[in-house]
Amino acid sequence: MADGDVHRIKLRAQTLEELRAFLDGSGFDLGCRPVVHREGNEFVVEVYAPLPEVDRLRSARSVSGVDVTVVENASEVGRNRQAEVGSGNRFAARQALRGLGIKE
Amino acid sequence: MAYLNVDEIEVAIETLARAHPSVTELIQLPNATSEGRHSHALRIGPPDAPGLDAVVITGGMHAREWVPPDALVNLAADLLEAHAGGTGLRYGGQRFSADDIRSVVGGMQLVLFPCVNPDGRHHSQTSSDAMWRKNRRRVDPNLGPRCVGVDINRNFNVLWDFRRHFAADSGVSASTDPCDLQVYVGPAAESEAETRNVVALLDRYPGTRWFADVHSHVPAIFYNWGFDENQTTDPSMNFLNDEFDGLRGRVDRAYREFIPEDDLRTLKELGGRMNDAVTAASGAGYELAQSFALYPTSGVSDDYAYSRHFVDNRRNKILSFTIECGRSFQPSWADAENVIREVCAGLIALCVATRARAIGPAADARVG
Repeated sequence: MADGDVHRIKLRAQTLEELRAFLDGSGFDLGCRPVVHREGNEFVVEVYAPLPEVDRLRSARSVSGVDVTVVENASEVGRNRQAEVGSGNRFAARQALRGLGIKE
Repeated sequence: MAYLNVDEIEVAIETLARAHPSVTELIQLPNATSEGRHSHALRIGPPDAPGLDAVVITGGMHAREWVPPDALVNLAADLLEAHAGGTGLRYGGQRFSADDIRSVVGGMQLVLFPCVNPDGRHHSQTSSDAMWRKNRRRVDPNLGPRCVGVDINRNFNVLWDFRRHFAADSGVSASTDPCDLQVYVGPAAESEAETRNVVALLDRYPGTRWFADVHSHVPAIFYNWGFDENQTTDPSMNFLNDEFDGLRGRVDRAYREFIPEDDLRTLKELGGRMNDAVTAASGAGYELAQSFALYPTSGVSDDYAYSRHFVDNRRNKILSFTIECGRSFQPSWADAENVIREVCAGLIALCVATRARAIGPAADARVG
């Protein structure tokens, strides 16, 4: 893990208001778009933050009623995935890419 | 296979255009990026003609979201191969007939801009900072290397000046701090070459009636608006009315954004068609919802595209979606392939539904 690595963190609460109260003014990276979804009876949002920020979240948990779960080190996952990016130019010979759909 | 790098995206669509010259056109976007890259879009369908409907689909606006550009290149390859071979297309349990493919490729203009932000993608795919989101322009040369880049999807000219238009306590997802790593809105609306390229594409295709911007991840299909909760009864309560500046985006319902009822119904129906196809392709559907949820957004692409008609009613109305595909920014390539199938199925379903003419934007609905 490198300094400043960003972790993917799942926040759960019983109400939208609890989540807002927890997040308001935090400046957290809320992913692509600041959206919330339902899982069962809970409201869930994902944020991306360095571990020191996670610790701050955890200390705040006792007063907010928000459950905090660290899912993964997103920065590390991304760096590992770079091995799955094409190198050079696989289409330099001008051979057309074929899509994944089945033609039938 | 593996994820496409930015050079491969360019050559892939160029090669598709060369292989299918009668039904494609390679379009060079007018603005080079800060690192000197020239981006291209691919038109699939007949040459420009009055009255021809267009669907514009963008991807790769956020650098760390690796799947959308690959999905759009795959979509182009699939449609063109199926059309040339006179076949249908199948993704999992979602089938499109040969007639469906002909109706899309032969009867409308499908304009794909797979990678809006190539500088950012290159940085995310090659540097230690795979979570990079913005473009790579150094707006203020006096600031350090972390204070680089603008969030393209906060830079469009719709309620861009969020401090004026939204309530101070709205929590709007935007920042005027160039060192904000995520949602810096830039020094001015449309300040970024990447943003202006998307605008130029919409200007070039005045027949555009539908727009989809593919992002990741939730997964979800979102429809307009992202400013505040939708309402269909008070046309005066709209984004152009400065009487409501400072009130937008709160949860207290002092302000809610007007959307014509016909548009809302159509958005939900088209979104439902996309989601049905996604579900058939992969077995699991996406959430279908208005894009305003936890906090409001300003200056985003889908609301910009839809707003153009309300700003100038000589322009076509463009019903718009943001598709938040998949369940992570950078899934393994094996998982990414499944997401690509979902996206392709959903977007072809959108095109087929619009071609059926049963569904279209309301002819006219103005805000005062």
